[in-house]
Amino acid sequence: MKAMTQRLHLTHPGHFVGGLTLWSIWFVAVYGGLSVACAVATPDAGQGAFTPINASLLLVSLFTVVLIAALAWACFKEAKRHQARRHFNAKVSAWLYLFSALAVVFVAAPMVGLPPCL
Amino acid sequence: MTTINREVTPQDPQDLHSDLHEVWGNPRGLKAFTIVNHTTLGLRFMVTGMAFFLIGGILAMLIRTQIATPDQNFMTPEIYSQVTTMHGTVMMFLFAIPILEGLAIYMIPKMIGARDLVCPRLTALGYWCYLFGGIILCFSMVIEMAPDSGWFMYTPLSSSEYSPGLGSDFWLLGITFVEISALSAGVELVVSILRTRTQGMALHKMPIFAWYILAMALMIVVGFPPLILGSILLELERAVGMPFFDIAGGGDPLLWQHLFWLFGHPEVYIIFLPAAGIVSTLIPVFAGRPLVGYGWVVFAITVMGFISFGLWVHHMFTVGIPQLAQAFFSAASMLVAIPTAIQVFVWLATLWLGKPKMKLPMLWIVGFLVIFVCGGLTGVMLALVPFNWQVHDTHFVVAHMHYVLVGGMLFPLMAGIYYWLPLFSGRMPSETIGKWGFWLVFGGFNATFLIMHWTGLLGMPRRVYTYDTGFGWDIFNLLSSVGSFVMSAGFAMVIIDIALHFRYGKPAKHNPWNADTLEWANSMPPSAYNFVSLPVVETRHPLWDNPDLPRTMREGQHGLPTISHGRREMWGTDPLTGKLREIIHLPGNSWWPLFAALALAVVCISLLLRWYPVAGIGVVIAVGFILRWSWENGAHPKAAPDAHVKAGDPPLHSRTMDGPGLWAMTTAMIANGSFFLSYLFGWFYLWTVSPEWRMPDESPLSLIGLCVAGVAAILGWGLLEKAVRGLREKNDKGLAFNLYGAAMLGAVQFGLVLWVLLNANLAVTETTHDAIIMVGLAYALLHSGLGAVMALLQGMRVGYRFVGAHAPFEPLVVTYFWRYSVLVFWMLIVALDILPRVIGS
Repeated sequence: MKAMTQRLHLTHPGHFVGGLTLWSIWFVAVYGGLSVACAVATPDAGQGAFTPINASLLLVSLFTVVLIAALAWACFKEAKRHQARRHFNAKVSAWLYLFSALAVVFVAAPMVGLPPCL
Repeated sequence: MTTINREVTPQDPQDLHSDLHEVWGNPRGLKAFTIVNHTTLGLRFMVTGMAFFLIGGILAMLIRTQIATPDQNFMTPEIYSQVTTMHGTVMMFLFAIPILEGLAIYMIPKMIGARDLVCPRLTALGYWCYLFGGIILCFSMVIEMAPDSGWFMYTPLSSSEYSPGLGSDFWLLGITFVEISALSAGVELVVSILRTRTQGMALHKMPIFAWYILAMALMIVVGFPPLILGSILLELERAVGMPFFDIAGGGDPLLWQHLFWLFGHPEVYIIFLPAAGIVSTLIPVFAGRPLVGYGWVVFAITVMGFISFGLWVHHMFTVGIPQLAQAFFSAASMLVAIPTAIQVFVWLATLWLGKPKMKLPMLWIVGFLVIFVCGGLTGVMLALVPFNWQVHDTHFVVAHMHYVLVGGMLFPLMAGIYYWLPLFSGRMPSETIGKWGFWLVFGGFNATFLIMHWTGLLGMPRRVYTYDTGFGWDIFNLLSSVGSFVMSAGFAMVIIDIALHFRYGKPAKHNPWNADTLEWANSMPPSAYNFVSLPVVETRHPLWDNPDLPRTMREGQHGLPTISHGRREMWGTDPLTGKLREIIHLPGNSWWPLFAALALAVVCISLLLRWYPVAGIGVVIAVGFILRWSWENGAHPKAAPDAHVKAGDPPLHSRTMDGPGLWAMTTAMIANGSFFLSYLFGWFYLWTVSPEWRMPDESPLSLIGLCVAGVAAILGWGLLEKAVRGLREKNDKGLAFNLYGAAMLGAVQFGLVLWVLLNANLAVTETTHDAIIMVGLAYALLHSGLGAVMALLQGMRVGYRFVGAHAPFEPLVVTYFWRYSVLVFWMLIVALDILPRVIGS
């Protein structure tokens, strides 16, 4: 775990865009995936939100949240170990990862209640 | 990496100025067209932007006059449509973005302790493209052929069937021309901020304004290409008949909306971010204390830069997409309120904890806070799908947009202009006239647009040229129109104030607002080289922490005061730490940017007039000028033939393997990649969604031909990598052979792709499928051809000794281009040929 954290160079400002890049990829994947799924395999409207499409999208979202949240936690930890520039970079990255994780949760929430293709 | 902070004996500032002025000074007369200096070009951008603002303002007054009362016939419906379209177009594309770019071009080098932007000739090209594109676009009004389909040019209204004249063509070609300017500014601002900050200015120590501009520039780089692609496709549809947006041919008009708003929504933030940067710069100065929560502002800027790309569909809630997809975009639209709110609270906290002085710039900042918060709240309302449906295409949306854009951009811009006016001119504005101007604008603005919310809620649609009495809209429209004229009077006062201050303004004392950032270490008005010597800066507030810094800089007590070599020089530093890496030498004044822009203007006009042979010749000439411009680089006699530097100084960037050109190429390829991904999005979107999409049972493309072309590209790229590996080891044996070999393989790739294209027998005017393939192969041809020419020129430069182990930089830049080209070529093969074979239609 420690070796992996070191490899990620969590004090590099590249991580400022890490969480939001993952959020963007997730966003494009769920929007694009929804569009394609609705075009090729529209579920019965009576099923409501209990469809394989919703389940798949939620699964992808859950995986994304866990991944981003783990990075946020690692960045917070890394920030404590450093001072000045490295501390600044890791701390801003940590909050950005945390925001990105919450953004996934917030945007994905309607998957629980809305039918996918109506 | 080294740090140079010598203790140097003070020298006579006048002597130093004379020496530096000889190398950096601007020529006069006809040669003023050759100027590439950022100070002059930044001012030109801003003055030109103000001229377009006046044109856009006059158009706004015409609109308000027409709808002041019901049943008016002041304008015909046709002219009214042209006026509304041009008002939006001029304000968004010719005023808002360019003037903020101009401010950034002017201010960024001064704030980060540099002497110029990193690609000065690109700045000049950008300016000329902006000027010529703007003139071409506005000329359409003179001949009553202006675009009339709304500033977002929705298809099919803007297609040739419903807009048969030249109006849409003026828009598509003119805007694309202007966007060259935006992209060039975007690229060089990114590289300048990352690579030319003065020594010691680590990323977390740079002025907050630079963070905002960095985000804005990156957003331009990513956000503008989708619209460029959309414009090219629509112009091809109108001019040649390729049916990209025509359902019958297999296209979809909604593709235009996606491409437009993929650009259009981020554009709001591209406009807002630099304006917010002005606010975050000014508030600490007038509060007399550092910004509260610098890190939180960096956080908010980053979030905005990303989330704003995930909102575009909220402009399309009424087009019939699934509820769940709408919910995604509705939620994302609400999320963007969080970084906005963080900034507002940071500003309020800074004011709360400081001792604010209500000078003229602060008045505009307070106006901004009031108006922008209101605009933000109606933005959250519009993010809610049911409410959005109700007010879609009504005056409510127009009012919201003006609250956000005028409040969020124009008010901070006015604050910034008043704040930096003493720097521009060395004189102070009149507080009295300035305050009159502010209150008239503030009162007039709210009278116009607050009331427009109500007309919108009462159901008045936007862009209708008249209305019947009895809807209850009469009095509100009249009041709105009166308000708009009051606002105009306010702007007239501001313009008078600014014009008069150049002659009658009180001479400004040095650093008149007691600011903390480096631009105030310049002379007022600034010299062409900005700083006599470049200091080490390890604080966010250099002038507060060391008030004596301007003097010691003027006396040459810091880096690079020597100019006897005749080169325009500044520091190249590490993007993260600000440690010194190299000396960047910049090109001097040049005719090539003007000539290239003129040739591109000929291309633009020829395409408008359907003179395609002339357009083709224009393209060849423009490419010729640009290649000639690239020839005068590195070790060329007009650049830096002598690599000698002062003992202890780092090497010239052209003698290293990591100069700013590499970063510029990388950033340009990000823009190129955004264009390419937009293209792929279009391909897959139509394949999936278009109701009449027709894909042939068998691919018209020769897979073998494409694969052989792809292998040739890989081999050429391999030769370039080999050449670069040798150069890294200071070995240029076989360099020319490798470069010529790559050029030849690039030519083979070009020839094979051309062969595949000619043998595909594509029916480009009958099916969207074939038309899109045509565009994809044209893209591949452009890249293979350009790659071959670039490698060939590098081979020739080896012969002239401009490139070699002593000057190893340029082949690496070309290799970066090839890496990108090879990658996208294989992606094209997979997307256009292999996937259709595997999946089928």
